Formats: sequence, structure tokens, C-alpha cells
Amino acid sequence: MAKQDAKAAAAKPAKAQSATGKPTKKAAQLKQVAQPKQAAKGKQAAKPKQKERAQAKSSSQRVEDVSGGGTNLLTAVPEPKYDWMNKSRQWGVRVKPGKKGLTLGSLNVGIYGEVPTDWPDQSRNPRGAIPRHGMPPVGYAVRDKAAMWADGAADLYEEAIQRRWAPATDVPWDSIEPLADDVEHAVCQVCTELCQYANVDIEAISSWQHQMAYGYHEVKQYLATATFDAARHYEAFRKRALYNGGGLGLEGPGEVNRMIIESYGGWTETVAYLFLLRGTFTMTMLRYLERFAHNDAERYIYARVIEDKARHLAYGIEHLQYSIAHIQHQAGVLATVLFVGDRIFARDLRDPVLREALAIIFGNGIEGARATGLDTWDAMMRDFMSSLQETCAWLGIPRSAAGMPEAMRRYLPPDAAAEAASADIPEAAQAAAR
Amino acid sequence: MPRFPSEQWFGAVAAVFNGDESYQGAGGGQCNCRAGVVVEAPNDAPADVFVLTFEGAECLGGQPADAAALADVDFYMQMPLADWQEMLGDIQAHGHATADHTLNSLDLNREEGLATSVHGDQYREDLFFRYNQTLQFFFDASARVKTARA
Repeated sequence: MAKQDAKAAAAKPAKAQSATGKPTKKAAQLKQVAQPKQAAKGKQAAKPKQKERAQAKSSSQRVEDVSGGGTNLLTAVPEPKYDWMNKSRQWGVRVKPGKKGLTLGSLNVGIYGEVPTDWPDQSRNPRGAIPRHGMPPVGYAVRDKAAMWADGAADLYEEAIQRRWAPATDVPWDSIEPLADDVEHAVCQVCTELCQYANVDIEAISSWQHQMAYGYHEVKQYLATATFDAARHYEAFRKRALYNGGGLGLEGPGEVNRMIIESYGGWTETVAYLFLLRGTFTMTMLRYLERFAHNDAERYIYARVIEDKARHLAYGIEHLQYSIAHIQHQAGVLATVLFVGDRIFARDLRDPVLREALAIIFGNGIEGARATGLDTWDAMMRDFMSSLQETCAWLGIPRSAAGMPEAMRRYLPPDAAAEAASADIPEAAQAAAR
Repeated sequence: MPRFPSEQWFGAVAAVFNGDESYQGAGGGQCNCRAGVVVEAPNDAPADVFVLTFEGAECLGGQPADAAALADVDFYMQMPLADWQEMLGDIQAHGHATADHTLNSLDLNREEGLATSVHGDQYREDLFFRYNQTLQFFFDASARVKTARA
């Protein structure tokens, strides 16, 4: 309806009568609803006596009163007033599809593109809508833009929707042929671990998502896709584990899992653990798994998960970058967060199961694990540490080789180790270490 | 018959890539990035540089450029001519890249890696991974382009 029509409708509330004064069809329906007993009387109802006609008239009057006053909500539909149609912060805003379609980001025009630095509204009011007075607070804990924002979140959302894949039908499952028992055990063990990682992604993201204010819907929507990505990863790895007769293996040590889920210091802290630390490690592992996949199905799964995880990492580093740019001393805070996280990560590394399983996959068996697989594990860890250090350096998060546990420091590239060693250990990190 | 590397070759591959809807399916799809392709010439001759542009569901082809253009691309992939030719030969032989010749494998296997950037912007560099399958599909499409060796 055009705006003028809406205004006219609001100014002159419709009545249940036509312009000639005769009852409209709607009013007649209301009468029928209000007179179920008379209708049930059959012929008598068709020819009502004078008294009944008087009762009917009285009843009809009541219905009209109802439509005006709303005293009997069960039997009457209030006449629309359309008052709400006058309520818009900015009428006439239009968006048109571009080459990429009608994207979420392209909706940020006019007042709808204003993203405030904080969002005190505690309701589910979508950004740009008019708040309803008297709404009780929902209790969103994360209401500052700097606590969740990433400029690319809307684009990442579109990308996640557009580049989705379906393990049930897209993976060439029939390319999986019987493997040697040791390799099958190893693949299943790694899939078990990756299922746990996916579960942690789901739990960690969803435990924060409901605490995020609606003012930053781009982030909430992107994270919804990240949760769904993780569900798909869980599905794909579980299916691979069960496809070839091996089944699921041993539960991982899970100290990093617990650290991620129990990181209550804020979403940014969780991002540092989930996307930067664990995410970089998982990404590196997936790249090696794709390189050493034993069949097209595994190669397909790992390659697609790499793309999904790259989006997660993109959100993570962009959020950390935004956070560091807008919160004083945030880089130092994150250095401390990682200082603590490194130690828990190193504790997980003491468990040999994942290392051995990966070495068997890389070496194509236990013998191969001894010959080359463990060396490939070392190469993977060096690539992981190199990527982590590069990202931290780019973000401006100080890292110190001296403050790093030996289980990680040993994999630093020599030049990065020297560079990192020259960096100061934040005082807070030193205190955390003590 | 276009030779690799040349604007004609990238155009021919882009035509195959753009015309095959299966490349838009699972793991593929819309891709928005500018990727450099650097082909190191033998005998210390200047490298050939091309800029591949992906926009939405299309590859707009590869334009010849000079080394300065690499500062503007999101990331670039650099290998000696012989390594590029080996990769393309593997794709021609199998219809797609096999384990040792995927972009991911080449990036891992090569000491210098494959993908890097001038600017060091991690977000933009990571587009190599976010769109990895689209990039792979693009080079896999070269299996259907008869290529003259340089």
C-alpha cells in the first residue's frame, strides 16, 4: 500500500458498514460467529420469531460494539486501524540487486546503514526499527560494537550461504576403498578429534551468540552460518569415520576444548582461542590432510572444510583487528590471553594420539609414520606456528618466544624465534605465568 | 592454440570455467578477488605477470601486468615456468589436478610456498584459502583447453 493510502486508512478507521450504511460481508460474518445457537436451530433460525429477531438485533449490536471496543476477543475480530503504518524511521529507502545479488551488506543504506558503536537497546528490536515502549530487557551482555564487530561479516555471511555444500550427496563416498587397518584406525581417530573440534565450535559460538545485541545483526547472522558450518563438519567427519568399518576412535584430551568453552572474559577472548589459536591449528592440519588424503572423498571433505574454516579465520582476525583498533591496550590483553592459551595448547600436545594418528596418515601406515610421517608432523607444526606468528604480528599482538612453552617454541621458524625473543613479555602475562 | 602463459590462454580457460555450471556447485560459487599469477621465466628473464579477476560467478580473464600490479592484488601465486607446466600437464593428463599438484599441495610442498602477497594483509591473503576450490576449478578447466608450450 502506498504511504498516502496508509495515512488515509489510519486517519479514517474502517467500519464494518458499507458506504450505503448496510452491513458489510465482514459484519455479517461477525454476526454469524456471535449467534451459533440461532444458526443451529435450522428452520427456526431461518424464520426467527419477533422475540428472537429482537435478540438477534441486540446480539448484532453487541458485535458492532465488540468491533469498536474489543470486549469479546474470542468471537470478534477488531477492525484494523493501520496506525502502525505511519511508523517508519526512513520511508522510501530502496535497495537493488547488484552483480552479487541483493546482499546483506547492500542493505546498509540510509539510516539502516548506521552501525552505532554501542547498542544499549536490550530488546530484540532489529536495527532501524522503532522500539516498542515497555518491552522488558532480554539481557544481552555483548552490546559494544568493538566486542564483536568485523567489517566483512555481511560478506562472509553471503559467502557461507552461497558456497555451502552437502556431505550427504556432494562427497564422492564411493571413492573410499578399503584401507590398511592402521591407516583406517588413524583416519577414524583424526575424524573423531575433528568431530570434537566441530562440537566445540558449535557450543562456543552459540553460547555467545544469544548474548549479542541485535544492533549488529551482520555478525549474529554470520556466526549462525559458522555454527551451521561446524554442524556440517561434524556430520562429514562422523560419516567418514563410519563409512569404512572403522568407526569412531578415542576421545581427545580436550583441555583446549574446555578452555575455549569456558573463556568467559568476553567474546573477543573466545575468538582468540577458537579462531586464532585452535582455528589456525585446525586449518593447517586440514591442509596437510588434504595433501595426504587417501581417496577423493577425503580430499573433497578436507578441501571444503578448509574453505569454511578460512571464513571463520577471516572473521576472527578481522574482529581482533577491529577490537585492537578500538579498545585501549587490547593488543596487550590478547597477548596475555594467548600466553595463557599457549600453555593449555601445549598440554594437549603432550597427548600422543593425534600426533601418531596424523603421522600414520602422512606416512601411509605405521612403518611410514616412522620413516616420514613424524617428519611431516613436524613440518605441519612448523607451518602452524609460522602462520600463527605471522597473523599475530600482523595484528600487532606481541609474542615472545621466551614466554612460549617449549612444546610450541621448538616449531618456531628460526627468524621468527629470534624476532619473537626480542619482544617484551607483557607484565600481565608474566603474572599469569607465575 | 593459445600458449601458457598468455592473455589468450587465460581467456580460453575463463570461457570454459564460466560455461560450466558444475564449477558453481558445492565448494565453488561466487568468488570476488584479484589474484596475481607470476610465471618465473628461465635464464633470469623477467617474469610474466597476469592479474586474474573473479567477480561473482565469473572469471573476467587474466590481464598481463607488470610487477608493480602485484601490490594491488589480494594475493599472487608464483612458480617457475617449468613448475606451472608440470601442474598443467598433470591437469591435462587427469582432467583435474591430482594430489601432488593441487594448489594447496603446491603451497605446502614448495619451500617458498605458492601463494603470497606484497602487502602482508592476512585477511586478503587468506582469500587464497577461502576461494581455493574456485581457483582449483579454474585451473582444472584448463584440461579442456589445448595449450601450446611456451
